[in-house]
Amino acid sequence: MKLIYSIYKEYKVLIRDKAGLAITFIMPTVLILVITLIQDTTFRSVNEASVPLLIVDKDNDSLSHTLERSLEGSKFFVITKKQLTAEQAKTEIAKGHYFIGIVIPENTSKQLREKSSNRISKLMNSFSGDSTAAVEEKQDTSTLRVQLYFDPITKKSFKTTISNSIERIISQIEMQSMVQALNETMSDNFPDAKPTKMETKPLVSLSEEYASYNNSPIIPNSVQHNVPAWTLFAMFFICIPLAGNIIKEREDGSAFRLLTMPGSYMIVILGKMITYMVVSLIQFSLMLCVGIYILPMMGLPQLNIGNQLPVLLVVASSAAFAATGFGLLVGTIANSHEQASLFGAVFVVILAAIGGVWVPTFVMPEIMKQLSVISPMNWGLEAFYGIFLRNFGFKEILPHVVKLWAFFLVALGGSFCYQKYVRLK
Amino acid sequence: MSVLVDIRHVSKKYKDAPRPAVNDLSLTIDTGDIFGLLGPNGAGKTTFISMLCGLFSANSGEIFIKGLTHKSNSKACKQLIGVVPQEIALYPQLTAWENLLFLGHMYGLRGNALKENIKHNLSILGLEANTHQKIVSYSGGMKRRVNLIAGILHNPELLILDEPTVGVDVQSKQAIIDHLKKLNQEKGMTILYTSHHLDEAESFCNHIAIIDDGKLITQGKTKALIEENNCQSIEEVYLKITGNRFRDK
Repeated sequence: MKLIYSIYKEYKVLIRDKAGLAITFIMPTVLILVITLIQDTTFRSVNEASVPLLIVDKDNDSLSHTLERSLEGSKFFVITKKQLTAEQAKTEIAKGHYFIGIVIPENTSKQLREKSSNRISKLMNSFSGDSTAAVEEKQDTSTLRVQLYFDPITKKSFKTTISNSIERIISQIEMQSMVQALNETMSDNFPDAKPTKMETKPLVSLSEEYASYNNSPIIPNSVQHNVPAWTLFAMFFICIPLAGNIIKEREDGSAFRLLTMPGSYMIVILGKMITYMVVSLIQFSLMLCVGIYILPMMGLPQLNIGNQLPVLLVVASSAAFAATGFGLLVGTIANSHEQASLFGAVFVVILAAIGGVWVPTFVMPEIMKQLSVISPMNWGLEAFYGIFLRNFGFKEILPHVVKLWAFFLVALGGSFCYQKYVRLK
Repeated sequence: MSVLVDIRHVSKKYKDAPRPAVNDLSLTIDTGDIFGLLGPNGAGKTTFISMLCGLFSANSGEIFIKGLTHKSNSKACKQLIGVVPQEIALYPQLTAWENLLFLGHMYGLRGNALKENIKHNLSILGLEANTHQKIVSYSGGMKRRVNLIAGILHNPELLILDEPTVGVDVQSKQAIIDHLKKLNQEKGMTILYTSHHLDEAESFCNHIAIIDDGKLITQGKTKALIEENNCQSIEEVYLKITGNRFRDK
């Protein structure tokens, strides 16, 4: 009964603290929306249909037209065509107006056709035994040039990816041209034949998919990272209102009164923990709803939470325990609201930064990757990644859950020891 | 009269403090007494009350409350005590009713008995109409009255009051003192009272102890104490004994 009333009291205090509620629920929602939108734009600029590309088409023939169609078809670029000189195109790229510039010189298609025709003729002549023609014919070793310009800020790996893509498209065009030349030569040599059109599509294609656990078809994106990451951040940020609550009780004499009551203070603390843990879980559910329902409305991918709901609840509860334990420790150690707010906020931000909330750990330098394992937010985040992206079960996430519980127990023990041996000495 | 509180050679020195806050203090409080504990700032009153309430233990000596110690039976000891701190130890965003219901439950009270008790006390102290009003909207005097009710809900045998009338108007002060006298007379509640209002202490307490520098300087029946020191009032006795030196520098 004491515990129920303690929880009821905390609930009433919390529900009437409008500013506290705003920090608890609105702040993380806004954070998830803003950060996910920002990061999604960044991801798209590298991954999807928004690489600005300039085409200077002086050829205006089959090669340039096929290249343009293929580039458009890749849905990788936003294409702008302009009639500029090569030097002007280079300047445009240097100014950062475009990521990539392609300059296709005049008569490239015509020269490609001629070169293809020559190579095929030479080949056919060698089959017909007219070796003198092959010897006498001047060797044409020159290559046609399609000029690519890259923005200097372009990463080497990205540049290589783009170059390879364009090179592959040009190779296909080259092959088509050769096949065309072969067809024409064969038609000349066998006027009565009616050859079928040769298929020029690639014979080998790559089949790609993410190697996820239990055949989970989920693809990682900014939503899959940001929703669990900032939810954990918000859950740990609860240390500030919780610590403030404890300090306020200490300052206004309520803690003194409660400590003079028979066996009540522990129940009051337990009541606080349960209340704030429930708040954390509500936060968690709300953030998942934002990821599932609100973010898609803003043109972002929908959060996929996998199909391990009970495991997800175990991780969320463990993270909530760890967060409330931390809040309890901050509230016990801090002497004032200012100390608790500053220490709590800075510490949570540090834990978030090293835990991979802001920047995922896989893009961190090696030393930071090693350091990240000390952050409870990293344990929670890794567990969420496991459930969302790899469809992990309880066995796989157990190490993370154990660490979160250990953190909670250490924080709880620390706050009780501090209360007993420092505050009440 | 039986002894309710028996303090035997109690000393307490805080870590890093140059001298003990309470130094070999011994005194007794009889059942039914209204016992005034007076002393300048820093005399050791708060430390003494904290030890009496079981917040922390003494370095040496023993405190018995109805024969029990906090070491041997903290829960039973605490059940005998009601505390009214100097601060308004209430939740401002909760109503008086919600505050008292919560604190009553923390003392192990429940059900209709608790609700009737709260209603009765609120009515006696003139707060019936404000029962469901948030504490934040109360005047200083109203808050003090609710603060008092919170300490007496479980009918403690020993009520500890730390400056119960500080910062309140004459009407509220009178209502609080009258109610306390009634509790003492009708229920036999023993009261330990600390205050800097020496005239209030003189009229309210039947027994007074003055402590200074953590030591008991004098104690006795209020009137006897005035007469023994050839003074006109407790304030005169107090100044005569403690002098004019500031203690909290």
